[in-house]
Amino acid sequence: MDSFLRLMNGGAGNLAAYLAAHVLLCLLPAFFIAGAMTALIPKASITRWLGRSAPCRVSYPAAAAAGSLLAVCSCTIVPLFAGIYKKGAGLGPAITFLFFAPAGNILALAYTGSILGAEFALARLVLCLLFGMGIGMLMAVLFWRDDASHDAQTDALFSVQASIGPAATGVLLSLVAVLIAGTLKLWPLTATVGTFNLPIPWVEAWQATLFEWVPFDAAQGEEGVSVQGSLLIVLLLLIGLTAWQGLEDIVEGANRWTWVALGLTVATLLVAAIKLTPGADGLEVALTGRALAVGLALWAVLHQARRLDADAWRAWLWEVWRFVKQIFVLLVAGVFVVGVVRQLIQPQWIHDLAGRNDLLANAVAVVFGVFMYFPTLVEVPVAHMFLDLGMHRGPLLAYLMADPELSLQSILMVASVIGRPKTFAYVGLVAAFSIAAGLMYGAWVDGVGGVWIAIGLAAFVGSLVALLGWLLGRRQALAHA
Amino acid sequence: MKTVKILGSGCANCRKLEAAAREAASSAGVEADFVKVSDLKAIMAYDLLATPGLVIDDKLVSSGRIPTQAEIRQWLAG
Repeated sequence: MDSFLRLMNGGAGNLAAYLAAHVLLCLLPAFFIAGAMTALIPKASITRWLGRSAPCRVSYPAAAAAGSLLAVCSCTIVPLFAGIYKKGAGLGPAITFLFFAPAGNILALAYTGSILGAEFALARLVLCLLFGMGIGMLMAVLFWRDDASHDAQTDALFSVQASIGPAATGVLLSLVAVLIAGTLKLWPLTATVGTFNLPIPWVEAWQATLFEWVPFDAAQGEEGVSVQGSLLIVLLLLIGLTAWQGLEDIVEGANRWTWVALGLTVATLLVAAIKLTPGADGLEVALTGRALAVGLALWAVLHQARRLDADAWRAWLWEVWRFVKQIFVLLVAGVFVVGVVRQLIQPQWIHDLAGRNDLLANAVAVVFGVFMYFPTLVEVPVAHMFLDLGMHRGPLLAYLMADPELSLQSILMVASVIGRPKTFAYVGLVAAFSIAAGLMYGAWVDGVGGVWIAIGLAAFVGSLVALLGWLLGRRQALAHA
Repeated sequence: MKTVKILGSGCANCRKLEAAAREAASSAGVEADFVKVSDLKAIMAYDLLATPGLVIDDKLVSSGRIPTQAEIRQWLAG
């Protein structure tokens, strides 16, 4: 019974830490941005660069942009992947799109940044971008015959032209401003503008009760639930309840509950941006520069959103709500489970397996990533758990590159579009590139100079190209024989 | 008799679209046959960049979003 309680406490403690103010300040705007991208960016504004006649220097970056801006869920990833492959720019850009989408989208990027640090998010973005293009080009070289066979197909799908409207651009930019104002750890955002005291006598007792409910071990890097955290959790529950009434049929128009839900969302962001300190004579509220900046940016969002036509903002809110239903619920469950599992893993195991940045540790991380399937974004708390347990950051990046790219589900999906031999080649390349990425980032973390890492990258790519050249030569020799 | 196809792999939006299409058909008094298409190859036979797709009498009328009741009724009448 005692150990069961310990596990439940682990889960609850983890959940509390993840619903903390700084995570919500990043996650809530990220959901709104993801919804806006899906609903307000016309797909044709990017896909028009992905037609068959587009040159490589256009189609590969366009494929990466499509992965980053258009693909937050499988509803877009699968049809767009199949479309680019069969009717558009071909196998290479399709692979680049597929590889970059799970790492380059706004939700993954913002969430990785807020949990694992901005530097890590940047490393994930840059390496996934470079290697996504690299793997795409290698696949295109490897299976060049295949693209030739698709030339008979029409590429009418990619000839439609469209551009993003000014109101949609305004909404997207001001949402990004909310995200930046909420997450950046810089003066004057962190400065306190003024404080006042709310005379709530029971607030200190409430804090003591919260610490009693969710005990935590500060030495292990765990966080307890603060008064602010409990307020935010209540607000989130209220948003959930009102959004169910207000957003489920938003396509047909807004109702009273829609505005309540949106008002509560604004309140949540503002509460997360201020500082609340419980004391003997009440709750001390510190107004921060962050709260002012978030408020200003939210006002800008509102101002821009009023210029959208009714269909556009309804579609936007629907997509946001759909992502929340689809991702947030699983994420909350995932974070709880991760907290439970963490109690069961001995740090020594992780330390022995992946505590160093060597080939074996990176390979183990990649194999784990391939065989484990976590719902969207849950890979991030899993990675955080490994980091806490002593995993080296190099293998951690290798895991984070392999896990969302390669799961049994995604491998089956890819196989049904491009066939088995190409899928095996893709899986092999992703594994090799992930290990290389882990080794390089790990070396960077360990303080190895940029020149050596560049030399390592060049040697890796060089040997890969040599291997492929040899394979192609052999195949052609076989074909002639 | 109309044939209405819902293209999609069974995600939340596809279920929502099917419900919307059924509601529109019954409110407009149009008799329609509903077919769910979840096979990727069959879906990609139509030119769409995002699911769910709505196909009425073999013509793709919308993709990647949930149309309003008024829109669907108009397509069903056409």
